[in-house]
Amino acid sequence: MTGILKNLIEYRELMAVLAWKNITLRYKQSYLGILWAVLKPIVLVLIFMVLRSFVGIDSGAIPYPILTYSALTIWIFFQESASEGVSSVVGNANLIRKIYFPREVFPLTSVITKLVELGISLFILAGLMAWYGIAPTWQILWLPLLVLNAMLAALTIAFIGSALNVYYRDVSTALPVLLSLIMYMSPVIYPLALVKDKLLIHQAAGEWSNVLYTVFTLNPLAGLIDAFQNITLRGLPPDAAAMMPGLVLTLVLLPFSYLYFKRAESYFADVV
Amino acid sequence: MPIIQVEHVTKEYKLGQLTSLKQTVLNSINRLTGRPVEERKPFKALDDIHFSVDEGEVVGIIGHNGAGKSTLLKLLANIARPSSGSIKVKGKVAPLIEVGAGLVADLTGRENIYLNGAILGISKKEIGRKFDEIVGFAELEEFIDTPIKRYSSGMQVRLGFSIATSVESDVLIVDEVLAVGDLAFQRKCFDRMEDLIKRQGKTVLLVSHNIRQVERLCSRVILLNKGSVVSDGNANAVCTQFYEASDTQISSSPTSSLDLANKNECATGEILLRGIEILDTEDKPINSLRHKQAVKIRLDYEVTQELRAPVFGIGIHTTDFIYLATQQSAKQLKLEKLGIGQHRLTFDIPSFPFMPGVYSIRAGVAEGSTSRTLFYAENLLHLQVVLENAEDRIWNDGLVELSGSWAYTQPKISESTYD
Repeated sequence: MTGILKNLIEYRELMAVLAWKNITLRYKQSYLGILWAVLKPIVLVLIFMVLRSFVGIDSGAIPYPILTYSALTIWIFFQESASEGVSSVVGNANLIRKIYFPREVFPLTSVITKLVELGISLFILAGLMAWYGIAPTWQILWLPLLVLNAMLAALTIAFIGSALNVYYRDVSTALPVLLSLIMYMSPVIYPLALVKDKLLIHQAAGEWSNVLYTVFTLNPLAGLIDAFQNITLRGLPPDAAAMMPGLVLTLVLLPFSYLYFKRAESYFADVV
Repeated sequence: MPIIQVEHVTKEYKLGQLTSLKQTVLNSINRLTGRPVEERKPFKALDDIHFSVDEGEVVGIIGHNGAGKSTLLKLLANIARPSSGSIKVKGKVAPLIEVGAGLVADLTGRENIYLNGAILGISKKEIGRKFDEIVGFAELEEFIDTPIKRYSSGMQVRLGFSIATSVESDVLIVDEVLAVGDLAFQRKCFDRMEDLIKRQGKTVLLVSHNIRQVERLCSRVILLNKGSVVSDGNANAVCTQFYEASDTQISSSPTSSLDLANKNECATGEILLRGIEILDTEDKPINSLRHKQAVKIRLDYEVTQELRAPVFGIGIHTTDFIYLATQQSAKQLKLEKLGIGQHRLTFDIPSFPFMPGVYSIRAGVAEGSTSRTLFYAENLLHLQVVLENAEDRIWNDGLVELSGSWAYTQPKISESTYD
């Protein structure tokens, strides 16, 4: 693991240039350009609002559109980091066959690239908050740590996924399915408070309720999205109890994911 | 102190497709239960390669297709890892394995210089410093802010080469990159390579099929065949050996090569070449001769349709098809017609003019009045000119001996200079 830090420093310039290339390429020859980074969550918010008008989701004191927009800001960052990380190694096959540098540069770059879009999305979120008259509190200082948490969760998927994808392209096909499953299991459309209320207060699943809630929060995004809404909109600190299971799971799995990647790395050029 | 140390390196690839998930699962079940596992056959691209390169050495790697040259370079560039054995390289390696790898079509020339520079490990500061030089060398000043997808392929390759050769490194690994661009640019590339090699004293590994180029640039050559080092040593000696090896490979099937020659698009079938041989003064067939030896080339033709005033031609060319000399029969041999049947022609060379090396023969027949080609083929027979003593050959002598005479004159020192 110390190797990764050393490489991070040594290859920071390369990663910066590659990230800049990804961003430039994505929006070159597109009329709306980087606006697309904003359009995607906005369209999703509109869809969720229509959905909500049918089923009714209690959003508490926070207006529903900004609550979901806030959730989508961090969710889309995670989702796109993970999926682009997974396809990054195969996508750069031409470089892998010709030039050597540590291969983790590719998944890392994918995640770094997404930081830029996250920045734009946050900017819009700030605008929405001003519109709804929600003032940020000091809790906003948690933001970098939460973003880091999302990056680590995305990298856990990206390292092992991109290495497996070199051998079995099934991975990049299956990933969108897995990710949308995680999305419905995460408090994106509904707030975490609803789940908490059902399971912990009303004990909806009987004696299994507490266990089920822990299982639900094993999804790193469950606690993370709630925490993100807390620090931006509710002015509350992250809910440590909701975040802990997912964070522990991420920190346990990430080293294995990275080690698998490093072991597979030497054969990328032969197989890809 | 060697800068590159390659120790007993073997690289195996598995033949065939990647196994399916089903096969993988079956294999692991079989392995666990101790039943035989269906393995894919390994293929040894490199087999126990062992050599070292000292600092400042320029080493050429030659061999036939599939000899393992590119695999070896990939291992040295750390792109792939050996299956067994170890490779130690001291210092930074710059691989010019495929110039233009990593150029992005949608980015401009300027953007690509920064991107490709970073990929090759040049820092942003350094690129900034070298930017004008890179653009200047690639001759792309006007187009530098145009996306490179609008470039011609030659322009793209020029840009790639220009960026790649500006990497500051201790070891340069070059794979066939000199064959880029038009003639003028090839010349420039070659000069730049020569500059890197000879004046900046870099350690260079060069893979090329252009043996003449290798002979010129390298001080030492490693010949690979089927993944093993066949010989390693003085550039001229190894290149000559390579020519010999190519020669035996080609001449091992003489009949089929004649059949092929008779079927090529320049042969009408009205006259067929049935045999070609080089004879010494005692009419014994030979395939190697000494410089200035007297030899004869004998051609056996079979005529299938009566020919009017045929003209025969014969020529010598190098293995890379530089036509060295030709002689045709029009002025020496006035043949009215040639009837159906076997005919034999001999061409007498009183003193074979070419320097040691491997040459090949081309031959043709045309119908005199209209100059219509009836038969023409190249590479018909290889012949090797050898030196009596191969060790005598210390420099590349060229193709032809330059006739002339040397004279030495003592400078007349007038007494007054010493006053």
